[in-house]
Amino acid sequence: MSAILEVRDLHTQFNTLDGVVRAVDGVSFDVARGETLGIVGESGCGKSVTALSILRLIPPETGRIAQGSIRFEGNELTALSEEAMKSLRGHRISMIFQEPMTSLNPVLTVGTQIAENVVRHMGVPWSAARERAREMLDLVRIADAKRRLDEYPHQLSGGMRQRVMIAMALSCDPQVLIADEPTTALDVTIQAQILDLMIELKEKTGTAIVLITHDLGVVAETTERVVVMYAGRKVEEAPVEALFENPLHPYTRGLMRAIPRLDVEADAAGTRPRLQEIPGLVPILTRPIVGCAFAARCELATDRCRATPPPFVDAGGGHIVACWEVKL
Amino acid sequence: MSAAPNIPVLEVDGLVKHFPILGGLLQRRVGAVRAVDGVSFSIAKSETLGLVGESGCGKSTIGKTVLKLIEPTAGRILLGGEDVTKLKPGAMWPHRQRIQTIFQDPYSSMNPRLPAGTIVGEPLENYGITRGAETDERVARLFERVGLRPDAMRKYAHEFSGGQRQRLGIAKALSVNPDLIVADEPVSALDVSVQAQVLNLLIDLQEEYGLAYLFISHDLAVMRHISHRIAVMYLGRIVELATKRTLFTQPLHPYTEALLSAATAPDPKRRRKRKRIVQGDVPSPAKPPPGCHFHTRCPYAMAECKVTAPPLIEVAPGHHVACLRRPVGGDPGPLSVPG
Repeated sequence: MSAILEVRDLHTQFNTLDGVVRAVDGVSFDVARGETLGIVGESGCGKSVTALSILRLIPPETGRIAQGSIRFEGNELTALSEEAMKSLRGHRISMIFQEPMTSLNPVLTVGTQIAENVVRHMGVPWSAARERAREMLDLVRIADAKRRLDEYPHQLSGGMRQRVMIAMALSCDPQVLIADEPTTALDVTIQAQILDLMIELKEKTGTAIVLITHDLGVVAETTERVVVMYAGRKVEEAPVEALFENPLHPYTRGLMRAIPRLDVEADAAGTRPRLQEIPGLVPILTRPIVGCAFAARCELATDRCRATPPPFVDAGGGHIVACWEVKL
Repeated sequence: MSAAPNIPVLEVDGLVKHFPILGGLLQRRVGAVRAVDGVSFSIAKSETLGLVGESGCGKSTIGKTVLKLIEPTAGRILLGGEDVTKLKPGAMWPHRQRIQTIFQDPYSSMNPRLPAGTIVGEPLENYGITRGAETDERVARLFERVGLRPDAMRKYAHEFSGGQRQRLGIAKALSVNPDLIVADEPVSALDVSVQAQVLNLLIDLQEEYGLAYLFISHDLAVMRHISHRIAVMYLGRIVELATKRTLFTQPLHPYTEALLSAATAPDPKRRRKRKRIVQGDVPSPAKPPPGCHFHTRCPYAMAECKVTAPPLIEVAPGHHVACLRRPVGGDPGPLSVPG
């Protein structure tokens, strides 16, 4: 599998009144052609900022990519002009967000918004772009696509709006689709529909998906490979089966024990097993983190963990983990 | 303030809440959102009843109505056997001590200009339970009980993390020794690791004080963890009510089945086992479909389902279901798709 997107040693920082926030602090990963990569972690771990960095959407007034490289199809994105980035976004790489209402224009019809993107990137006449928009709505299984083209975002349900976003994102056959919490705002039954749709379309179009989420269930059911992030750093990376069967990083293990499980056999009526807590809080990102970012909350932590950041240990089969104390 | 052991802490009987839809130049009533449409349940001491359902199913409206933050359109609410449905705010006041609430985002319910200790102590002074130094001492104990350091009493709400703020909200709700806590999505805004801390705390407090919880959530896994019994709601009605174990091992209503099958699990092997995903969107509660509200999305619907609203009936001891295809004594096995 050849990598279509290579992120190396990415550092993204923001200036705040409290100091410089190291939101992404040296993250590297590859996305292979046509694969689904999950990036998982809790709030503030840097997963969304990683996505915004790839698309160079970090607001320049407050933030910047301080260091590192992002290569897409051989081009260094960090060095590209804004004009060149604009022709890339929504075309070669596109993105969908958690709340589609905030990324759809409320005063334009759905058809116009999709067609606009197609005209801009494919240089086709308006009529052909409209036709493409209709095709895309069919593809994301919006019933009665021809009529829906002339509707405004507020006339659609939340699930339909997310379908429209997906239609728009895929309208120019991107190589990579970045989906940031695409189903978090949706109801359970609608979430299942959208996840199924994304996987089906990925298989149909060959677009690689980077799925960013806090939800381990969503990761388990939709991705092939997973990057686990904590406090701006990657702590573990593995094929999805390996990660869930044999999580190696103490943080990943903690996360898995902390979630209430739906799939575990029913316990005897009335007994509620305790959830494992991860004690403490995430570190404050304005202060430089010496050593392992998780050390303060980790029961295995030693003086070495607190002093020196752990290197990645290769557990084989594409499973790597950043931990001094991991036993293989 | 504890009710007699055999009287339910809360009883809700035929609760209805319709919100008017106003329209036209004169803002006349042109319709109604039937947010809650005839719901009955009860909660015993030390019991957690979970209300689960998707957005717009009416679960939060039930919470607000039970708290008498909004007036019900019809039906009765009994707290410890006393009918409080018709009580005016003043007459309701003494009863509020028995029923407290925890919100999804406690931040919006806290005065940003008051120190945390004052926020938690306010209900105590309000109800004349304690005064001055005594209040401080009581608040300090509450802080410790919910896992906050007593010196945090001087901090302001914005200085706490999300999880700590939820602990603060719990301390405030606990301060007046309620019998029942209405918890509306109390852990939805929290990260997994913090969510576990708060869920464990809620369970410990229940066992310690015999609290009853009305726990409202859209998250089935959280629900399964904390509830004793669960009511599944769809468009203002309870479609199934059973013990947790029964509901998860033998769901009878097609909507419950759909919810369980749509929920994701942290197990990559499960994705191939997923059975059936229900199609379509939830209809608007302003215009719910006639008959069984779920018939538009139900793979097992018969012609009869489009006209007759199924009553919630007890098909097995403690297992209530509102489905025409699930009669008393019927086969609990999978339903067939009508051909």
